[in-house]
Amino acid sequence: MRDMNEDAAANAGQRTDAGQRTDAGQRADAGRATAEEIERGGGGLGVSELLALVMTADPAGPGPASGDSAPTPRSDATAPAVDATAPAVDATGPAVDAADPAFDQDGLADAIAVAAGRHLPQGHLDADADFFDAGGSSVHAVELAAELERDLGVELDLDDVFADARPSSLARRWLERGGRAAPLPAPRTADAEKLPAPAPAVLPTSAPAAAQAILSVRSPRSAQPAPVTTLPLPDLGDDPHSTARREDLDQILADLALADRLPFLRSPEPLPPRRILLTGATGFLGSHMLLDLLRHSDAHVYCLVRGADEEAATARLAEQLRTYRLPWNAEVRRRVTVLPGDIRRPRLGLSEELWHTLAHELDSVVGVAAAVDFLRGYQSLRAGNVLGALTLAELAATGRPKPLHHISSIAVFNEVGISSMGEDDPFAHVDRLVAGYDQSKWAAETALRRARDHGLIVSALRPGGIGGHTKTGAYNPQDLSSGLISAFGRFRTVPAFRYLNAAPVDWVSRVAVAVVCEPDAWGFDYNLTGVPNTLDDVVRDMAFGGMHVRVEDWDEWRTDTLARLQAQPVPELAFLTRVLQSPTALKLCEATLRGPAASAERTDALVEALGLTPAARYDAQAQLKTFEKLAGDGLARLPRKEDQPYLWFAETTEGRVHRAGGTESTAGTESTAGTAGTESTAGTASMAGAESTADTADHDDSPGSPCSMALTLSIASMYQLVKERRIDVSGEITCPAAHAEPLTVVHGDIWVRPEEGIPQQHGLKHPLLRYRLRLHDADGRPWWLEGHKYARARRDLWRQTRALTIELGREGEPAAFTGEVVVPADSYVRDQIDGIKVAPHLAGREKRAAKLTWLAWFGLEMGRGLAGPFARAAADLLDLRRTPNPTERHR
Amino acid sequence: MIFKTTPAPRRRLRRVRTTTALRPLRHRLDPARVEEIPFRAADGVRLGLTRVDPGGSGRPAVLLLHGHTASADMFLLPETRNLVDSLLDDGYEPWLLDWRGSCRLPYNETGQRYTYDDVALYDIPAAVSHIRERIGDRPLFVVAHCIGSLTLSLSMTAGLVPGLAGVVSQGVFLTPKLAGRTSLRMSVAGELLKSRIDHIPVDFRKVGLRSKYTPLFALASRRATCPDPTCQMLHNSAWGSGASLFVHENLSDATHDRLAELLGPAPLWILPHLRRIELARSVVRWHETDGRYRSLPRNALDAAARIDTPVLLLAGSENGLWLDSQKLCHEILAHRQPQLDVRYTEIPGYGHLDTFLGRGAALDVFGHILDFLAERR
Repeated sequence: MRDMNEDAAANAGQRTDAGQRTDAGQRADAGRATAEEIERGGGGLGVSELLALVMTADPAGPGPASGDSAPTPRSDATAPAVDATAPAVDATGPAVDAADPAFDQDGLADAIAVAAGRHLPQGHLDADADFFDAGGSSVHAVELAAELERDLGVELDLDDVFADARPSSLARRWLERGGRAAPLPAPRTADAEKLPAPAPAVLPTSAPAAAQAILSVRSPRSAQPAPVTTLPLPDLGDDPHSTARREDLDQILADLALADRLPFLRSPEPLPPRRILLTGATGFLGSHMLLDLLRHSDAHVYCLVRGADEEAATARLAEQLRTYRLPWNAEVRRRVTVLPGDIRRPRLGLSEELWHTLAHELDSVVGVAAAVDFLRGYQSLRAGNVLGALTLAELAATGRPKPLHHISSIAVFNEVGISSMGEDDPFAHVDRLVAGYDQSKWAAETALRRARDHGLIVSALRPGGIGGHTKTGAYNPQDLSSGLISAFGRFRTVPAFRYLNAAPVDWVSRVAVAVVCEPDAWGFDYNLTGVPNTLDDVVRDMAFGGMHVRVEDWDEWRTDTLARLQAQPVPELAFLTRVLQSPTALKLCEATLRGPAASAERTDALVEALGLTPAARYDAQAQLKTFEKLAGDGLARLPRKEDQPYLWFAETTEGRVHRAGGTESTAGTESTAGTAGTESTAGTASMAGAESTADTADHDDSPGSPCSMALTLSIASMYQLVKERRIDVSGEITCPAAHAEPLTVVHGDIWVRPEEGIPQQHGLKHPLLRYRLRLHDADGRPWWLEGHKYARARRDLWRQTRALTIELGREGEPAAFTGEVVVPADSYVRDQIDGIKVAPHLAGREKRAAKLTWLAWFGLEMGRGLAGPFARAAADLLDLRRTPNPTERHR
Repeated sequence: MIFKTTPAPRRRLRRVRTTTALRPLRHRLDPARVEEIPFRAADGVRLGLTRVDPGGSGRPAVLLLHGHTASADMFLLPETRNLVDSLLDDGYEPWLLDWRGSCRLPYNETGQRYTYDDVALYDIPAAVSHIRERIGDRPLFVVAHCIGSLTLSLSMTAGLVPGLAGVVSQGVFLTPKLAGRTSLRMSVAGELLKSRIDHIPVDFRKVGLRSKYTPLFALASRRATCPDPTCQMLHNSAWGSGASLFVHENLSDATHDRLAELLGPAPLWILPHLRRIELARSVVRWHETDGRYRSLPRNALDAAARIDTPVLLLAGSENGLWLDSQKLCHEILAHRQPQLDVRYTEIPGYGHLDTFLGRGAALDVFGHILDFLAERR
């Protein structure tokens, strides 16, 4: 039975191409085409091909897919009949030759392959190879589709391209679309590609010694046992809500059966691993897990990395680690061996000798590698995500038994309307999974569950969304959640979701590694989903960061966001645009956003038992670094000066300046430094009662000229205030000595307690605020202004907060004027407390909160700044006390 | 009441013939490769200087300076991959100085008082010149941790250790900054306690359950997650100051269990100098009028222009003691002394001590150090 299944699958793989349309509305037509083909070309098929056709055409075939498609009745009556006659057909099969192939299909496939090759790193693509598997990206696929339409006149739906991007099937699909019945391809097409290349001349089905090749080999067609059960083939897709494609389901069933070929195993030694094989080390989670494996175990790690040779693979690994801000140095290198290979190839693309050595030396296999792509179909993803996992299971089962730790995903639950997502809860109904990614993760984990029945220890680790690192901010640029978070922040809208099951990569990786290193944790299922975020949490977090967002209905949000992304394309978010345009990916998004909260009792128990950091909500604080990096890379966008300010108020100052230079004409900073030095020596003395205004009064008596400033101080977000400690300034300065007309501020910043209030020069004069303005006079000539407020250990605190020592000069020249301007005491409270304005789009309570937060933060900072010199003076006094010399026992 | 303890003090022999001895180092190197040098600072204080033979000649030397109350043991942890291992494998000749704040020496616990001025003036320059005599004109690097680095900055700005090939400073350099809470506790509690005790022990087994230190241990155990009193005193309280010295999960179990060996008691009489430094947020000299110390600058930050070597400022992102002092230092030096070659590297997920003691320190930290040294060797 299982052989039949597999063969069927293989052919279903090729059949996929015949009638495939992604658009759900056209699926029924596909089914009809299938039925017609059976009648037309059935005679030329072997039994397995026929069985495949039977399966695709049986009464359970894809019904009306989604609400908008009209159900099309099909003639299914033939199916059981064909089933029954299958063995007979088998006997006669070889006698009849295949129908003659379309004269131009191969030609077209080759043309497409040539075009596709231009988008690939290696420059060419076989007609039967998958474009994405060969290294093509989504961007390339979009370009390729456009190019095909332009150059060859082949118009393909983008979703079709993503579902199965082999040139041969693209060609066939187009020819069919063109109204010409493309003949079934010669069997070689499917066989060669869809299963890993057959290992030559090895056909073991039971001998454990040759188990390494088991999964690599197609089942012998001749050994076809008759079905011993009377059960009909699985009744798939009968449900009116089923949206999975017939062909994909067949392929999935066939892939599941591959697990049955594993040998029966003993249990592995329950010891922490010493030699670990890790796949996917160049990926986001995998690279973090590599470092965590090194940190938290003494193991040597073998990393399977794609690459022409070891050097190329190592370089690729190093580059990826660096992208994720992870260390790659001599200390890491001495504990890592890079194996050039490919998870999609038989024996992982390793030589037989190496495979054999690994099988006997490794004591743990960790499978992280998977293609995470929400656009591609099952056919395109299965080689990596399903067959790869099975090859790892094969490795784990060969030689000495070892545990296999498989990174699955909560995508296995990703069905619209699923009620719970606990660790031991039933998976989604596979026929209701639409996206190829969900299907492939489902198939891989289900196949590995079967492997458990053979005695293989398989741990299934299911992360949800994997958020950026809480400490480094490293994130996965191709990840959907990064894109969504960026879009939330950029457009200030969020779709109404129920829960976001996301956890930061550092936590996910740490817990996954803990499972690998702890024998008592092996062999169970874990949800690595952390603490789910609710919609309210996210909205509040974003408001906390100064980003007040509107909540929209999912459909509204999608249309709205898509429109905005198309109106103003953001290159970094192009993949999000594509996801929002793809019907299958949308289904995936919808299921994710409407899904329940994942629960993770077993993971929590493990974390507690091992004393790891308990899961915490992935909140604003945890996301901060990631958001900064997202903003830095152009995905997200922080509030800026040009935007509507979050909060602003006016500040007016009045005072006098006098001409600098004369006797001591020096650059501005030096002259301040000089005065700072002299004053600091008098610092403590002046506490005794020297009038602080005395020095400044001296200056004011000199023939100075009036100077006043009318400024508006604003902040774009609380983030700017807390992180940069900076306030934006605009406004103008009236200083007749410099220019008759007021000088306008071009760019201005104020830093609060610059450099932590460390004095410019040894002493007790601590800077409180630093103003730095660039100005233009009416004639367009540039000026600069540098101002400081200082805290000193004196009793005139009220004046210290208001008095600003300024220097004014032409751009590129030393200060021309120095002086002091003071905020008039009566205007201070009026302008700077009562007069605070908050962005009008905020709700009333948000405005009040913003105002209070600003006042509290600024008040606290000023308090700390003013207290600094006093604390130092007080400590100096305390140090005058005699230090007693207590007699202690340990003397 | 509780401050009056009864156990009769064990009387010790008066030292007549012997002098201060160092506790033996704990390491897993070949004993023949470890050369202990009888070494005294310029003012006659017995210190420890250890050279590890790299098994080859002509290699650049690296002087390792531990933090206050730690010792050279912190670079030689036998249970994990340590800095000396990494340096040896990368072709350097490690030298380890036990300056007078080392817990292998008795000074923290028993009396003989010193300030960080002494360390900067006597210990570090003497060690550097001793090493220079031995290595000739091979390059000499310094890797310094915490107070070792802070005092090194004072020596450097005083011009006492010219011509180093490069300096790696971990935790704090010219601009020490403590959390407000830590600073307050240090000042107030220090003032209250200093008439009763003169050091804060970390090893509960040495002082017993009923002692005048018991309230300190009790205080340190507040909201602690780890039941080990030594760990509470260090991780949860940093000798009663309320800071945290390391990220708990970064230590291996073996290191965690021998913390009492790695870090010794902290003397209280150092607090006035530390407090002065911290409140000024810059390294300042303690002795105002003592002429012997006049070669040290009053304020090391003002004299930073005298630094004549590239500096790598390292800090764990979770440093619970000195917070982001290194980042601040980098900003200030970039602004005030733009001509200096100073760079800053933050190590995500690490605290203060675990940058050297952590079980993954070799992977996450030493790589940065080796890269920096390799650029200049």
